Formats: sequence, C-alpha cells, structure tokens
Amino acid sequence: MTAVITGCELLTCFGNRQQTFAALLAGRCGAAPLRHLDGTRLGVTHGYQIADGNEELPLRPSRWLARCVTDVVRAARLDVSGRRISALVGTGLREIRGLERWGPGDLPPDPAGLHFAEAVRSALPGVAEVVTLANACAASGHALALACDLLAIGEADAVLVAGCDGLAASMLALMGRTAAAPAERVSPFDRDRKGVLLGEGAVALVLEPEEAVVAEGRTALGRVLGVGLSCDAHHMTAPDPVGITRAVRDAHRRAGITPGDVELVIAHGTGTALNDPNEATVLREVFTPHASPGPLVTAIKGAIGHTSGSAVLHSVAVALDIFRTGRVPPITGLHRPIDELRGLRPVVGGTVTAAMRRAQVHGFGFGGVNSVGVLEATS
Amino acid sequence: MTAVAVTAFALALSGQLPRLPDGLPVAGHLPEEAHLLLGRKGLLAKEPATLLALCAAHLALGVPPGRPTPPPPSADLTAVVVSSNLGNAHSVRTAAHAVRHGSYRDISPLAGPNLSANVIAGTIALRYGLAGANLTACSGAAGGLQALRLGALLLRAGRAERVVVVGVEPDDATARALQAARGPESHGAPPRAQAACVILEAPPTPPRRNALLLGRFTHHGSRPPDPPHHSSALRTFGTDLSSLGPGYGADGVVRTAVAAAWLRGRTHCSWLRVTSGDRSDGYMSARLGQFERRKAE
Repeated sequence: MTAVITGCELLTCFGNRQQTFAALLAGRCGAAPLRHLDGTRLGVTHGYQIADGNEELPLRPSRWLARCVTDVVRAARLDVSGRRISALVGTGLREIRGLERWGPGDLPPDPAGLHFAEAVRSALPGVAEVVTLANACAASGHALALACDLLAIGEADAVLVAGCDGLAASMLALMGRTAAAPAERVSPFDRDRKGVLLGEGAVALVLEPEEAVVAEGRTALGRVLGVGLSCDAHHMTAPDPVGITRAVRDAHRRAGITPGDVELVIAHGTGTALNDPNEATVLREVFTPHASPGPLVTAIKGAIGHTSGSAVLHSVAVALDIFRTGRVPPITGLHRPIDELRGLRPVVGGTVTAAMRRAQVHGFGFGGVNSVGVLEATS
Repeated sequence: MTAVAVTAFALALSGQLPRLPDGLPVAGHLPEEAHLLLGRKGLLAKEPATLLALCAAHLALGVPPGRPTPPPPSADLTAVVVSSNLGNAHSVRTAAHAVRHGSYRDISPLAGPNLSANVIAGTIALRYGLAGANLTACSGAAGGLQALRLGALLLRAGRAERVVVVGVEPDDATARALQAARGPESHGAPPRAQAACVILEAPPTPPRRNALLLGRFTHHGSRPPDPPHHSSALRTFGTDLSSLGPGYGADGVVRTAVAAAWLRGRTHCSWLRVTSGDRSDGYMSARLGQFERRKAE
C-alpha cells in the first residue's frame, strides 16, 4: 500500500501555498522585527511572522490550522461520511502562548485549548480522532510517518496530517539566552550563519491509499514512499550523525530505494553550528559514494524561518510544487557554503530548472528526534 | 496481529495509595526523592513530571536501582511514547513570567530543555539508551490511551520491537489551576502527581497462556461508552482510582497498568475494557485480555 497526497494547503509569513512557493523561487526572506513581543527582553529581535493584525489574538496557531484544514478538505474533496478519518497534528510549542499570557489574577486558559482537537474538529467535524504530537521541530515528520502506518495497516481510510506553531516568548528567550548574538535572518549552511529564527505557520495535507484514489479516477499531488524515524538517545540538543543516518536508512528501506534514486534533498538546514555541519556530513556520507552527481540540495528556513511543528510538512509541500513545476528554489540566505557541503550540489543564487521525480525531506528536533521522508512525483 | 502484548507495567506516585492489585510495582517516591531509585547523576533541573516518568519507566524496565548501565538489547528498536499535557506547563509559565519582569538573562539554560513538551520522552530515551521512534502525545484526557494506541501502531508498522509507554502529569500550582478549569467530570479528589509505564511488545508466538493482550482501541466521541466512565471495570474489582484525582494525560496508562496487574494470574476474568477521556477531549477505550480466553470468546 502506498500513500498519496490528495490535498495540501499551508500558511507562512508569505501567505498561502502559491504565495509561499513564489517567494521561495524569488529568493525572498520573510524575516521582520518582532510584532507582538518585546525583542529587547527576549534577546531575539526578528522572526518570520504571519501578519494577522496588530493586536495579538488568542489561539493564533489554532486559527491558522483551522483555516488550512478547511481549505485542504475542500481542495481534496475529502468525504467524511462513512469513512474512518484520523487527524495527526505536529507541533513544537502547542498553544503555550496562552500559558505565557496568563497573568496573576487572570482566569486560567481552558486546557483543552492547549492541543488542537477543537481546531481540527471545527473544520472537519466528522474526524474520528485528533492526535496532537508534540515532537519538537520534527513533529509533522513524525505525524507523516504515523499517517502512512495508519493507512498501511488499514486503520484509517484517509488521514489528515498537519502542523502548526506560532512564536512563544519562553522559547525565544531561551534562544536569546543561548545565542552568541541575535540573528536577523536564517542562513542555512552559510559560513556566516548567525543561528536560527522561528517562523509562524500551519500546514494540512490529506493522505489516502493510492489504490482507492486511482480507482475513483482522482489525481494525487505526490506519493509518500516511506518515512523513517529514529531517536539519537545521545544528547538532548546536539544532533548525532549516527541517529540521523539511521532515520535516512530507515526511510530508504521503507521506500524501497537506494541513495542513487534520490534526486533532491530538502534539508533541515537551520543555520546553526549544531545542525548544519552534522547534516551536511550525513548527506555526504549517504550520497557521495553511491550517486554521481548526487542529489540537488535545497532548504527553506532562510525564506520562511524555522516553522517548528510545521517545518517538515512545509518542506513536503515545497517538494510537491517542485514536482509540479520542475523549478527548484535556491537556499535563501546561503552565499558562502560551509566546507561540509563540498561534494554536494546545493542550489545557490537562483532557481534551478530540472524535472524532479524523487525527493528526500529532513526534519530533526530537540530530544534527538529525527524524521526523514521520501516522496515521489505521481505524474 | 491486531492486538499487542503488555509485558510489564509500573506506577510512580506518592502519598496515600488506594488499594492496588498485587504484583503492580509502585515507586512511592516524591519527585524530589526520585534519586533514591534513579541514582543522583543526570537529574539536575529535571521537572517533577520527568522524574516521576523516569521512576515508572525504571521499574517497568526492571532496571536495578541506580544509574542504568549500557543500553538494553535491541535499543534501536525500542520506542518511547509519552502522554502528558501539563508536564512542562509550569516551566513555560515561570519562564514567561521571568521575561515579563526581567529579560532572557533570567532564563536558566539548564532548565531550557523543560520548555519543550517532549523533554520527558527525550529524557527517557537518553537515560536508558532507547533509540527507536520517540513520540509525545499532548492530546488531552484521552492522551494516555492514545499513547498506547500509537505504541501498538509502532509495533504493527515494524518500527519497534518494544515500546515504553508512559503517561504522566505533575501536581503544581499551574497544573492545579488548569485541572480546575477542566469540565466538571474531572472534578473530585484534588489532582495528584502520577506516572505510569506500560511496556508493549508483539504477542508471543506461539501464544502463551496468561499473556496479556491490548487492542481494539475505540473512539467514542464526546459521550462516554456504556458502561459509563465512572462505573468502569476498575471499580468492580475493588480498586477505586478516583482517589488518585484526575489523571488527565496519565489516566489511560495508569488504568491500563492497574488493570493489567489485576488481570495477570486471574482465572475467573478473561478481559476488561479500559476507558479514559472527558467530554471535551472525547472518550477512548481499549480492550485488555488474556490470550487463550480472548481467542475462545
């Protein structure tokens, strides 16, 4: 059983899916001074934010998620009646902004609003279950893996797999506390990188078994050949190449491919000293012995920021647009590649036009959680 | 394979205990006493929820007291799934408060990991060397049973040979206020810090007498299944868990651990249904039963 993607909608600092892909192709950077939070207190001055008003509304990630789910249900013509539909929502920071804004003397927020069941049900009332997976920056990659598993063992007829996150003061302050100097933009794999910045966003995809979609004469946007998972069990914050490599091998095994079959990698690429050299080293070790000239490598966090729980599915959405258009956006913010990228083919300076059929998408997170997905074009 | 085997279980909670079944390991430590079971090393700046989760996992894994030695066999194929809603809520609130009245310089980098909800699952993986898939469900009152369901899914999808499932909630000022803001069915005894661990594996082949199987996870929406939540089977065998207070994200794992201990070795009862949830988050149930009876039924 292969899972196909029958719908995909998203929100980023640039807007919807079309607007976001256009901005990526143009090499735009969506970073801006913080809107609702005091950068001087946080030690972080910039972020990649969704412009949804001057006042900070409550439950912003839930609103974005509900909007993406509404749009994707319509676009995929997802029929709930008589079908078992599960929803898996990946998130790094949940709705903890509500906890942060809860001051002394205020009524506590409704704890049911910390997770996303209500947001999903408001847009998809017939959903059987809503799982909120708080798997840090790899959350929606884990959600994607479990969605494939649910379809493979026949426990769901369709799965809504999603992600969402907004900025949170506690996490920004921790980033400010541990950064050498505040960054104003993310520069993945660049020698002059200053560190990571958070991005706001949401994303929702519909996954269905390919057989059913074909039988009904419907079209799909792409195939999920396999998703590999691992946990480093090595260090809470420093990624471990051994753990990442295990996730890559697991993904290839599940997808039934060899490294030579991968034409494009959408890397995690956070613009940090912890991630970038490690990730590039893993890519070199996995691909250079097998494939010549090896896959193109791009990354999207220089354009839309680190969208945390949405990050992996944002990369998946971009892969689908690359399949559709044959245009690979450059790594926004990369000018002087780090040494570890040598022998790989990063997309630098401008868009590359090339028909792509198979893409590998990375997402790694705090706690050593790793997810690697392999996608394939359907047309 | 549709059901999975429950091979070990344990609780971690302190204070006055309800009558619990024989054969259920209980770490009766307060979070601040966790080092008595876990050893002192590596516990600095860990939250109470993480400490209790480690205690429950430690007992269920059968690790001798003290810091664990090298990773167990097939560590790459041992997954961890945690359910907790409020585990790090107090840390988040405390950090936000510190920033509101000061700046990022008032944040402790040592306590930084506690700002991520998956700190509990990550800490369990790191301490015991469990390098399989690592999941954290923050799904409200049905989260405990959901974590067990995800654990079963990891086994059935060939992602793991063994899954350490933990449900845990703390008891602090933030947790208490949030619990009080939940629906009326969660009110009763005050909340109490609690953790449970249930270890899942593939069912034994050939089938073994007295093996406990967990499966048939069912979603019931906002109405509790019949029989109603509060007359669940746990009452009928003489364990009243209501004195533990609302388990919230821990509840489904706590109930499964208690029910598994009760069923093991019983001859007059072959299976029971574990129910958890609330009106706003929805109800879930799962079936826990002994191998031979289950097949005959």
